[in-house]
Amino acid sequence: MTFDLVLSGSDLLLLAPEIFLTIWLCVILIIDFSLKDLDHEKLAYLSVGGVLVTLITLMWFDYTGVSGTLFKNMFVLDRLAIFFKIFVLLSTAFVILISVDYVKFFRFFRGEYYFLVLMSALGMMFMASANDLLSVFVTLEFSTFGFYVLVTYLREDLKSSEAGLKFFILGVFAAGLLAYGISLVYGATGTMVFGEMASHQGSYGLAIGFVLIFAALGFKIGAVPFHSWIPDTYQGAPTPVTAFLSIAPKGAAIAILIRMFYVALATFKPMWVLLFVLASILSMTYGNIVAIAQKNIKRLLAYSGIAQMGNILIGLAAGTKRGSDAIMFYLLTYLFANLGAFAVVIGVSNLIKSDEIEDYNGLNRRSPFLAAAMLIFLLSLAGVPPLAGFIAKLYLFIAAIEQELYALLIVALINIVIALYYYLIVIKKMYINEPHDPTPLTISTPLKTAVYVGLAGTLILGIYPKPFIDWAVAATLMFSNLAAPTASVPAVTSLVGG
Amino acid sequence: MLEELRFGFPILSVLMFLPLLGALLLWVLKDVDLIKKSALGICVLELGLSALLLLRFVPESAAMQFSERLNWIPGLGISYHLAVDGISILFVGLTAFLTVLIVLYSWDSVRENIKAYFMSLLALETALMGIFVSIDLILFFVFWELMLIPSYFLIKLWGVGPERHYAALKYVLYTLLGSVFMLLGFCLLSLNYFTVTQSYSFDLLELMTVPVPLGQQILIFWMIFLGLAFKAPLFPFHTWLPDVLVQGPIGMSVVLAGVKLATYGFLRFSFPLLPEASTNQTVVAIVMTLALIAIVYGAIIAIIQPDFRRLLVFSSISHLGFVVLGLFALNFQGLQGSLIQMINLGFTTAGLFFLAGFLYDRLGNTLIDRCGGLARRLPVLATFLLIIGLASIGLPGTNGFIGEFLILLGAFQAHWVYGVVAVSGVIFAASYFLWFYERAMFGPLVANLPQTLKDLTQREKIIAVALSVMIFWIGLYPSPFLRMINGSVQEVVDRLDHGAMAWNRSGDETMVTQMVKD
Repeated sequence: MTFDLVLSGSDLLLLAPEIFLTIWLCVILIIDFSLKDLDHEKLAYLSVGGVLVTLITLMWFDYTGVSGTLFKNMFVLDRLAIFFKIFVLLSTAFVILISVDYVKFFRFFRGEYYFLVLMSALGMMFMASANDLLSVFVTLEFSTFGFYVLVTYLREDLKSSEAGLKFFILGVFAAGLLAYGISLVYGATGTMVFGEMASHQGSYGLAIGFVLIFAALGFKIGAVPFHSWIPDTYQGAPTPVTAFLSIAPKGAAIAILIRMFYVALATFKPMWVLLFVLASILSMTYGNIVAIAQKNIKRLLAYSGIAQMGNILIGLAAGTKRGSDAIMFYLLTYLFANLGAFAVVIGVSNLIKSDEIEDYNGLNRRSPFLAAAMLIFLLSLAGVPPLAGFIAKLYLFIAAIEQELYALLIVALINIVIALYYYLIVIKKMYINEPHDPTPLTISTPLKTAVYVGLAGTLILGIYPKPFIDWAVAATLMFSNLAAPTASVPAVTSLVGG
Repeated sequence: MLEELRFGFPILSVLMFLPLLGALLLWVLKDVDLIKKSALGICVLELGLSALLLLRFVPESAAMQFSERLNWIPGLGISYHLAVDGISILFVGLTAFLTVLIVLYSWDSVRENIKAYFMSLLALETALMGIFVSIDLILFFVFWELMLIPSYFLIKLWGVGPERHYAALKYVLYTLLGSVFMLLGFCLLSLNYFTVTQSYSFDLLELMTVPVPLGQQILIFWMIFLGLAFKAPLFPFHTWLPDVLVQGPIGMSVVLAGVKLATYGFLRFSFPLLPEASTNQTVVAIVMTLALIAIVYGAIIAIIQPDFRRLLVFSSISHLGFVVLGLFALNFQGLQGSLIQMINLGFTTAGLFFLAGFLYDRLGNTLIDRCGGLARRLPVLATFLLIIGLASIGLPGTNGFIGEFLILLGAFQAHWVYGVVAVSGVIFAASYFLWFYERAMFGPLVANLPQTLKDLTQREKIIAVALSVMIFWIGLYPSPFLRMINGSVQEVVDRLDHGAMAWNRSGDETMVTQMVKD
């Protein structure tokens, strides 16, 4: 095999957002070390500006229908990739906004922080475009490197170092699994490109290979039983990094999962459905039940995140176009609600230096705005109508009903009740309990902006979801040949076994 | 499909969102007195609007009136579809009426966090209105769940009992548990629609045009049943009710005991959408048995309650049993009686909760052995208690009699055993109320009553008089109310009698007549 690189102008256009972002992050780095007295807040806004430019370029691509593949099918730009790139960039912009105040607590390397965040974002943009097994491996590792550093950014904090170490060891372990899985799949099919695998016969090698790859990606999205790093890492990492970690890499990994299982493995669906059903049931149930006992808000959000990933896996288990639409819409709603909740957590912890749920007592007295925002974010996460989370869950459930995944559905429905329980505990503390210290809390403008964006997203996606659903539907048009619903409603006899 | 009448102005949307906008208005107000007055103003405006709705409603018609429709999520066939018909129209009026009374009641008896209280109350009114005017199943579900949030805060923040935190949580989680199964049932209905027409729909009127196989109907029926039974609450799902109604604030008790959301759900969704399952013998036998147990069990437990509000809780369970009994008698009298009885309970049971609230405000508790001879000190209160109480046990001339009589008529037609058991409930009801009244109001005056025991204030009198007027109006001259509901009730009965076939046929006919007109 020979590698030759021929790039034409139109090929460069496909890469333009990534190229621009690469240049931009270099510019940020150069500015940081050349202008020593520059206020770091300005760097943050510069980064957000770069991200927004990239975002707008991608939206324009989406609008005009730019698409194509590069580097012998290793890199693909289609509407699915654009969707996830926009998703990653949105969360990056959000995270930079909520970092502005927090960065002041870092002793060193404040400018590099933004550089690292942008670099991880770049890696995740590539992940969204990964179209063969090698590019999956490379882009996944690329995006993770930035996070290894970011997680340990609080250098004096033992917890942060512990978080970094756990994240690193398990991340490397996952990378090993991924490489091993890729080698098995390559051995079984003789190709790396997703599109070419579908025509091959199933074999044990292929099956084991894909289970290993699923496990590696399971680490990234934090699905049970690959979740063990999540709580400690979330708790120890600087909170904006936790927020970033809780959404962007998961979105990018879901992009790879969708592409891999919908494109490469569509023909082997009966083999992998059970994998997703089990992971989904375990994640939802474990995440929600353990979340009840948490005393730290970051850990609570960590476990609730595990459960939310369980919900998203319902869509993958459905394995249909509607399943993928539902996942993508769900991710959007999760983006706003989850990052909004983290924005509130950062706002509170900047002021009172604590992430204990006990310290949220009487938040309503101290800052009615933060309490009301947190209320809406938590209720959206719990799936209470008419907030975004409800529509997203409904969409997922319908996708699952079409595929007759009734056991999964029943578990998911019961989990809604469990989840609301622990969100209500937090809500109760904010609204009912008396504050230990009734001084009012005020937050800075960038944080407030982030909270407003989160609120707007959560409300608009709930009340007028149509344009966003249409967007998700359009992004997955290539899956429309996948299994139209075949299911019919079961009769009572078939459930009772008569 | 059912005929739909439109109205020049989106009155239902206004009815639905007016209280919510009012709640937002309250948010910016500072002055406590102004907050109370604005809340009252909004509720009175809402009552006026709903009175307009009742006046413009075409009686003796099965049509969906004041219809409004917009696409919401077209990909899943979810629409913003509002309409009222004979089944829902009276609930709209009842909700507006009771909210005004609750605001009046809360004027002095709520002392903390007044702004938040009235905001929650108005948000709750929006949710209730939404439940009654939604024709789309998902839209209905949205309001059904939305109701939990203000309820949670109302119970938790302004509950009167020490166990209110537990009660609020129990209420939300119990009803949510039932509701998620109801949602699954709705989704299965929509999926069935999909298998026939290749598109999704959650619109009640569209779903009714597609037959559902019997086996599926029964499965879906039980799923929806779970949602409704937890919320109602029907025996044996009632365990949250005593906690919430005794620990929660009076306003919340009035809403939960007076606005019969769940039994409305049977008439709105279960019967029209699942006619074969609703008339299935096993289903009817199970539900009827539960209803009869509720009637007798509720009434017997009520006799021995030491607390007036707990007594009301169990009498409420017993009354709800009557409503379900009438519904599942599945004939015209039964359904008509149940529907009118649901409205009646909004005046009688809810009225008794108001009176319990008056007592609570005066004595600090509602324990029956702490009362005694109160009629001498509080003659006006005692009089209204007697009027509303007798209406609640169905004395002829009051509204309770109309409802119970029609229900019993329906029950005897269905099977004499149902009628006989239910009649025993009427007797128990008389005994629990009269015995309570004798102990609390007559007899020797108990010692250590508060010195400053005042009779009803002006505002309390307005509440009691308003309730009594409605009680006698429906009791003596029920025909305007019955005329409003008759058309839709007949339509449901037809559908139950002939199964889904009857509706498809009438749907074809409307289409034919429309084509002829064109």
